[in-house]
Amino acid sequence: MPELGELTRAAVEAAQGDEAVEAFAEEGRTTEASALRAEVEGLTFAEQRGVGVRLISSGRLGYAWAADPSLDEVRQTVRRARENAALAEPDEFNVLPSAEPISPIPELFHAASAEVPTDRKVELALELERLAVSSDPRVTKIDLSQVGDTVSRVAVASTAGVDAEYARTDAWAVVVTLAVEGDETQTGFSYRITRAIDELDVGAISGEAVERGARMLGAVKPPTAKVPVILDQFAAMSFLGVLAGALNAESVLKGRSLFASMAGQQVGSELFTLVDDGTVLDGPGASPFDDEGVPSGRTELFTRGTLNGFLHDTYTAARTGEGQRSTGNAKRAGYKSTPGVGTSNFFLDRGETPYAELLRKAEGGVLIQDVSGVHSGANPISGEFSVGATGLRIAAGELGEPLREMTIASTLPEMLKGITGVGDDLRFFSSVGTPSILIGEMTLAGV
Amino acid sequence: MLDRGLIDEVLSAARRHGGSFAEVFVEERSSTSIRLDDGKVEELTTGLDRGAGVRVAEGTSYGYAYSNRLDRESLLLAAEAASAALRGDAPGAVVDLTEARGAGTNHVERPAGELPAAEKVAWLRELDDTARAFSPEIVQVTGMYGDSLQRRLIATSDGVWVQEGRPRIRLVAQVVAKRGDNIQTGFHGPAACSGVEFLDVHGPAATAEVAAKRAVTMLDSIPAPAGEMTVVLAPGMGGVLFHEAVGHPLEADAVDKEASVYRGLVGTKCASDLINGVDDATIANGWGSYDFDDEAQPSQRTQLFIDGVLQGFIYDRLRAEKVGVASTGNGRRESYAHPPVARMTNTYIVNGNSSPADVLSSTPSGVYVTSLGGGQVNPASGDFVFGVSEGFLIEDGEPTTPVRGANLIGRAIEVMSAVDAVADDFDTWEGVCGKDGQAAPVGSGSPTLRISKITVGGTGA
Repeated sequence: MPELGELTRAAVEAAQGDEAVEAFAEEGRTTEASALRAEVEGLTFAEQRGVGVRLISSGRLGYAWAADPSLDEVRQTVRRARENAALAEPDEFNVLPSAEPISPIPELFHAASAEVPTDRKVELALELERLAVSSDPRVTKIDLSQVGDTVSRVAVASTAGVDAEYARTDAWAVVVTLAVEGDETQTGFSYRITRAIDELDVGAISGEAVERGARMLGAVKPPTAKVPVILDQFAAMSFLGVLAGALNAESVLKGRSLFASMAGQQVGSELFTLVDDGTVLDGPGASPFDDEGVPSGRTELFTRGTLNGFLHDTYTAARTGEGQRSTGNAKRAGYKSTPGVGTSNFFLDRGETPYAELLRKAEGGVLIQDVSGVHSGANPISGEFSVGATGLRIAAGELGEPLREMTIASTLPEMLKGITGVGDDLRFFSSVGTPSILIGEMTLAGV
Repeated sequence: MLDRGLIDEVLSAARRHGGSFAEVFVEERSSTSIRLDDGKVEELTTGLDRGAGVRVAEGTSYGYAYSNRLDRESLLLAAEAASAALRGDAPGAVVDLTEARGAGTNHVERPAGELPAAEKVAWLRELDDTARAFSPEIVQVTGMYGDSLQRRLIATSDGVWVQEGRPRIRLVAQVVAKRGDNIQTGFHGPAACSGVEFLDVHGPAATAEVAAKRAVTMLDSIPAPAGEMTVVLAPGMGGVLFHEAVGHPLEADAVDKEASVYRGLVGTKCASDLINGVDDATIANGWGSYDFDDEAQPSQRTQLFIDGVLQGFIYDRLRAEKVGVASTGNGRRESYAHPPVARMTNTYIVNGNSSPADVLSSTPSGVYVTSLGGGQVNPASGDFVFGVSEGFLIEDGEPTTPVRGANLIGRAIEVMSAVDAVADDFDTWEGVCGKDGQAAPVGSGSPTLRISKITVGGTGA
């Protein structure tokens, strides 16, 4: 079996004339164990590798990919990319990035984690379920308890001189609990992503899921009202996903971002600073280089409410001109897809207000712990959104009555302007991180 | 794709620790996708995927291993890894493999894979031209075309051997319209398990017009009202809601985990008398159709509701065996890289007796929903939410001003019980459903129907 680097270099060597060719190869080994009713529900082993080839000829871009190719099949993939390029429109901004020095991030690979035996993962999934069903009499069942890890490697090489490779380990645990009282069932959810299996704290994960589900029992539909709102870290994270789409330079260039003409303007509250940083190890989104071989970097998108700029890959930077450089944000869904602009570690910067203080400031308001339908209910072009929400009333600095079947509707700029408090509790769940956020006033629609 | 001797050997290896059965799923998929954006063909991608997954089951527990190599050594390694989840000492038997033939649900006249890519590019140009010509207010068009042929071979230790090719074709138009600072979008994406003859009806121009009209219409929209009100759903949209809010809680894994609001309710009335619902994978060329599911069970039409009475659940093999019923042929997987799960195919609310005009004209006020953007449900509590991507106020029985930023929120049983009119103008809507990290093409369908009272979330008064 050829090494990833041999595959990518074989593709580059197959370039003809003044063609620009880039090959992206990845391979991974994933193990996932799930537990149900104190037994192993499922145990999945996966090994996958593949190569994707981007070929640019006279500004025309073609792409082709192949699963687990031989060196010969890689050369055939280059030929297919060439055929596809012939049918595409020329675009002068189709260019490959030139090689830049890359700083390795050895911390991304935990050699010990790569060797953890399967039995240990099974034990952890079983333990996660056991803990989840043994701390609260109303929580005796789970919907899901899963522990998994991946050992993977990525290589990129191009005719522009890029030839880079790195390895990483990732581990995760997720639990969904069912809290039951009478004929009512509420779900609680929590998860963590770490670099190593042994960094997973299953006690903390199960405790959080149990609490979040059980406290929703007895939830009622509230009357429609304008109230102060705290978005907890889970709920705030959902909104950050929508912001990420609108801060992508591709959306901006194509007139699909509400922020397109707002660079340099004060868009959000002074408390709002939003960062993308592929070099920090706090979240799992770190990598030494992006998916076209450009070194990862830090981009402050908003500084105290002012929009500084957008996330770029090589294409959007070239098309933007004016000295714009790639911010190292070329991302792919895998070897089957061409790179596009995406986030690395994307987070709302830590504030100064302790959580308890946020609760006091939100007197008479609502803590939102979950929002649903963000994907369909938020429009990154107009900035309008309307989403379903569940949460708890805030009274005397404490969480009170649980609420369900309500919706929050506003616009992203109004929401960002309306931020009156940012917690000091920044937390990364995935490559998106956020503290709790207090918004002065929002409309909650219920009865 | 692979010879029987090898498959037999892999199944035997998978059963070395016994278990209730073993299964091999082999797949080869060729695909083409083209994206036209901003007036340019930005991307033309062809892919070639292949791999095999081996599953060994014991009750509702399973081991699953897959590889994208199809040589003997890799397949036997996968069989060994999958069987390692079991602890038994006694190997299980493998019954002689006998081929089962399918009904030919997804007949193809003109295979998309045989057409030159240049013709497909021309369709996207037509789509782009048509959308831009629709109105000077159209400022951006994205056209996407995709086709694929997935060849599957499934063999099980009970002696079943099936082979089936699944042809898919889809055309998508996403259109942005702009008037001053007001920006609105329109989407339309018809799809089928078919050859390119599908485009004779759902061609590039027709697809572009639906999306363009939607975007331009929404430029006149006002913020949607908020609160409880009557909602009329246009043909197809009730099916989307039925899929999400009712269908997911009817999937047997949710029921087995006691995470379904419908658990224990078979035989009882949990929807309006007017609701008759099915899940049907046998619809010719349907987006969610097939001859055999991804566990080699034959497809079928499954009654879910008759006159509002719940008839049963949607089963995969493991959950069906657990409760001692036959699988409904709903074990589906995204690819060889995923173990099968119970999920919907084409899920429909069937025609009632009212005329759609009467349903609207007898509604004094409310919201008429003509396009839903997608939604989410919590199967355990039944709470769901949907984004409305195109809707209108209903005033004195007529759809009037378009509204934006609306969503529908409610609980499955309450909302289905509040349906007080079902028309006879059935239509479908094709989507891609996500569950357990796997994407699956699904069809939804319904006639016009009315919900007497549901919460609408919106920013307006």
